[in-house]
Amino acid sequence: MARYFFDSGDLNYVVEDQVGIECTGLEGARRAGIEGLKDLTRDELKDFDGHELFVEVRDENGSKLLRLSIRLQVEAMR
Amino acid sequence: MSSSSSSEILIRKLQQISELREADLAILRGIAIQEKAFQSNHNLVLEGDKPSQSFVVLDGLVGSTKYTGEGKRQITSFFVTGDIPDLHGLHLSVMDCTFSTLTPSRIGFMRHDTLRAICEQHPRIATALWRSTLIDAAIYREWVTNVGRREAFTRMAHILCELICRLRAAGCIEDHVADIPITQAALGDALGLSTVHVNRTLQELRRKGLIATSGARVQAVNWPDLVRAGDFDATYLHQRNP
Repeated sequence: MARYFFDSGDLNYVVEDQVGIECTGLEGARRAGIEGLKDLTRDELKDFDGHELFVEVRDENGSKLLRLSIRLQVEAMR
Repeated sequence: MSSSSSSEILIRKLQQISELREADLAILRGIAIQEKAFQSNHNLVLEGDKPSQSFVVLDGLVGSTKYTGEGKRQITSFFVTGDIPDLHGLHLSVMDCTFSTLTPSRIGFMRHDTLRAICEQHPRIATALWRSTLIDAAIYREWVTNVGRREAFTRMAHILCELICRLRAAGCIEDHVADIPITQAALGDALGLSTVHVNRTLQELRRKGLIATSGARVQAVNWPDLVRAGDFDATYLHQRNP
């Protein structure tokens, strides 16, 4: 188990994780990150085309390890 | 601690929610309460159990929990000092959820046959116990609304307001500073949120100057604003002297 930190937000505003979470390796951190991204999307996804939300995973030394993102795409069908 | 102090904890709680007379208090003081101390994450009563006793929380924090078929945990309510979480077991023979300690806790067990005999002879006490389970149900209703319909920031602020209100009413805290030594994961399971989002939400509450945290200690730095942020109205707690 190691402690990972999950900064989350969009291009305008990022909330830095100052507490971190114990995860089982990078795979565990990835799973936690995806769950976080789903919650973030529910709360923060704005109604404009191209809005992107992300979760960035850091280790205890501050090295960035992983970036998970999701982007809204709205296309007219006719 | 002596058994009389556990009776006083029970009495304080029941007096807060109902009218009891001196004669009722004497009866309540006569209830044998068997005290036990538990570490956190101890299952006090399991779903499917047929308990012959109910328990009062003397100190600590207890959660009612349910598990989905795939093993995900939802904490459906918190219980603080004075609460009697499984009192419904007096009338519903099979327990439909699990009660676990969320922090190290001191628990007092009371026999059902004793409680039944008292309720038959002392209607004001029966009413007080009934009110206790009704208020528990009101809290469950609030939690369904909170978890189902409020966004994470409001949801977290709401649960902190509720805990602080209930801990104050129980005499555990005097101001708006509470020791809430529960894990991020347990908080997430109570709010239906991932641990990553729990961290983000707490960080946002800190950044906006609504709470300060150090270790397990949560301080409502700005109580009126935290109440507003949490869409919190204490009516559902039905405290007589809020």
